[in-house]
Amino acid sequence: MNENQVVARKEQPAELVRQLPVIAPAVDILENESEILLHADLPGVLRDDIAIHIDNGKMTLSGTRRLRMTGAATWREFAEVEFRRTFAVPQSIDVDKIHADLKDGVLRLHLPKSESAKPRQIEITAG
Amino acid sequence: MTRWQDIHGMLGAMDLFRNQMNSLFNEFDRSHGYGQSWEIAETSPRTNLSDTGDNLELIAELPGVNREELTVKIQGNYLEISGSRRADAPEGYTVHRAERPAATFSRSFTLPYEVDAAKVTATLKDGLLTMTLPKSEAAKPRQISIQ
Repeated sequence: MNENQVVARKEQPAELVRQLPVIAPAVDILENESEILLHADLPGVLRDDIAIHIDNGKMTLSGTRRLRMTGAATWREFAEVEFRRTFAVPQSIDVDKIHADLKDGVLRLHLPKSESAKPRQIEITAG
Repeated sequence: MTRWQDIHGMLGAMDLFRNQMNSLFNEFDRSHGYGQSWEIAETSPRTNLSDTGDNLELIAELPGVNREELTVKIQGNYLEISGSRRADAPEGYTVHRAERPAATFSRSFTLPYEVDAAKVTATLKDGLLTMTLPKSEAAKPRQISIQ
């Protein structure tokens, strides 16, 4: 590869994403006997721009917001950002059954507990 | 009349400056991202306003707000957005973290131009309210033919 080719190399989309400011989305974390439920505010983020990555007990939620900017700015209070936040995921979560839906800019992420982690009533037998 | 427009223009410039300053400060106190400026209350939706010549375009962040719970009022150059967000936590769950309270909000703006309220369009999608506000005829830019 000669020097000219190095100069002519264009930025890849993934690199452009990284230039966006990163902010942590506001979340609610709820739990019942069968699952942990996470609600996150991701206003303006489309479904295809959300990535959920789980590795080694850590879950990283990332959503990129693209805005269609037109005209001259009179005022700007929010911008294109990457919403990103990392959570510790307990061992008791069944990673394969995690599912999520996105509606009105709110992500609802269901983290079901594995069968062995669910609370259990132990029968005591008369001896 | 001219004097008034001068003052109006100056206030507009100051608003822009203030917003720039706010975004500067937001860099510092980004606790969970939504570094609030001193002026905007925690529950007020944040907005962007653009001028596209014939129209003003306003975008507001309203995650989790239903169309039925949102009210927009316009009169001349006065715009008010109000509504509420319902609690979306299902029954029977223990709360570990709650950063998204159910709340009512209201925010009003003085737009830089009078708008034609009858022709305003508003859509709520993906947690963003996008409004196109056509300027009233008198406020539109005009090409002047030179004699």
